[in-house]
Amino acid sequence: MIHAEHLTKKYGAKTAVDSIDFTVRPGLVTGFLGPNGAGKSTTMRMIVGLDVPTSGSVTVNGKRYAQHRSPLTEVGALLDAKAVHTGRSARNHLLAMAATHNIGRRRVDEVIAMTGLDSVASKRVGGFSLGMGQRLGIAAALLGDPATLILDEPVNGLDPEGVLWVRNLVRHLASEGRTIFLSSHLMSEMALTADHLIVLGRGKIVADAPIADILSGSTRPTVRFRSPEAARLANSLTASTVDITQDGSDLVQVVGLSAPEIGEIAARSGIVLHELTPLSASLEEAYMALTQDDVEYQTTAITQEVAR
Amino acid sequence: MSTTTLARPVAPNVRLSSAGILRSEWIKLRSVRATVWSYAIVVIVSLALGGLMASTLYLPEAIPPEAQAPLAVQASTFGVSFGQLVVSVLGVLVISGEYSTGMIRSTLTAVPRRLPALWGKAVVLFLATFVVGLVSVFGAYFVSAPILAAKGVESSLGTDGVLLALLGGALYLAFIAVFSLAVGTMLRSSAGGIATALGVLLILPTVLQIIPATWARDLSPYLLSNAGSTLFSVPSPGGVLEPWQAMLVVMAWVAASLAVAAVLLKRRDA
Repeated sequence: MIHAEHLTKKYGAKTAVDSIDFTVRPGLVTGFLGPNGAGKSTTMRMIVGLDVPTSGSVTVNGKRYAQHRSPLTEVGALLDAKAVHTGRSARNHLLAMAATHNIGRRRVDEVIAMTGLDSVASKRVGGFSLGMGQRLGIAAALLGDPATLILDEPVNGLDPEGVLWVRNLVRHLASEGRTIFLSSHLMSEMALTADHLIVLGRGKIVADAPIADILSGSTRPTVRFRSPEAARLANSLTASTVDITQDGSDLVQVVGLSAPEIGEIAARSGIVLHELTPLSASLEEAYMALTQDDVEYQTTAITQEVAR
Repeated sequence: MSTTTLARPVAPNVRLSSAGILRSEWIKLRSVRATVWSYAIVVIVSLALGGLMASTLYLPEAIPPEAQAPLAVQASTFGVSFGQLVVSVLGVLVISGEYSTGMIRSTLTAVPRRLPALWGKAVVLFLATFVVGLVSVFGAYFVSAPILAAKGVESSLGTDGVLLALLGGALYLAFIAVFSLAVGTMLRSSAGGIATALGVLLILPTVLQIIPATWARDLSPYLLSNAGSTLFSVPSPGGVLEPWQAMLVVMAWVAASLAVAAVLLKRRDA
């Protein structure tokens, strides 16, 4: 359980995290989304005390992280895959981390095996690929068999097999009742992994809800229909607050009405429908809709004409 | 929402402890190449310089008895002046290497109260460097003393001040390593830390020597490296500081630098 109250971080005049309140609950995978610079990493760093909040507080299982007698068994964190001395071997890195908490050599070998690092454990970390570094970071996070796991972009640089492994691992750990807090910019991956989402934009919470609610609630229903009298049907829909795009002569996309509603209207007007398809919003669309005003580093939209 | 609570067997002895932090820092210190190289260089150079000085010393006249022991000590601690530069670089790297690689974030996540990690580093570095210092200085003594004895310069560890001066040489190396660790913690950069630490050791004494003022001359014995030289020499009648006073001066430098380092480490975001 992670609990933040009015958590704020300012760097000079710039507010990175702006008085946010949230709770990350046990037994669930909570996804943490937001554009670059939204304050995700800063928030995660404040949870484990690497950054000190300007005001407000964040606790893990009721206490500030630093106040726990055994921090590594409370929280395992992967915040930065490169948080390892490049001149030291992976095993020695893990042994040094483990020694602080009197965690035995057996557990070190266990996490090395779990993360598939056996063959490179005695090699110096400087020569590791991004994916290997990421696995070592996850191994370090798992050392204390922690009740809460905080992973910042854990699948970054992993191969498809590694991505699947991380997904299954966090799902499994959540099913054991652990608290999992996970950030990722891979929306499709998040849709498969997370139960609950917290979306951050410009240091503020834009959404905090179960993933199903975000998918259905934040976007309006989108329906596509095909009809020989597409234009006439489209006209009879304009009375309502709907967005209509007509691509081609007989294909229309409607935002704001459900498929049954359109079907009823078509029937009442005696219009033949050749196709009526509800389009489910992807997490990516839902996310874009939530954060479009909060993107810190706004890119100019490239119109299709230009792209072509 | 699932309200499963986690029931997991946590071994009762698994928790953050001072002993664990010391063991962790010892693993860290010995598992990077810089440490092995630095300590090897300190020992080898100390033995080589001691032997070289003793064997090349040209003594046309007999040395008066009261100057014999100081000469033997000088040969044994000749390498300390060089060794201090090496352990200084090592001391800075112990922490700046963590900042440059990002390791510091792992360290401070494991020891979130932070200061125990600094104390752990300081203690381990002090002890390791002290042992290496003992090997270097006493090794150099056992290499040079027989050569000098053949030239009529007699000394023994029992001679007044010899044992203390040799111990002082090893202690001084250990203190320099910890002082440099503190400087590295303040500056968080290898280049800046090494430049500053070596500046204090080498350049500060020269600068004070150049300034033609009484206060500069009065201040000089209290500089870190000058107090150190007093610490690892047989006390001479004209010396400003007694060895125990020199020891206190060196310790004051180390304590002050560690205090500043501790405040900054605690206060800054990592």
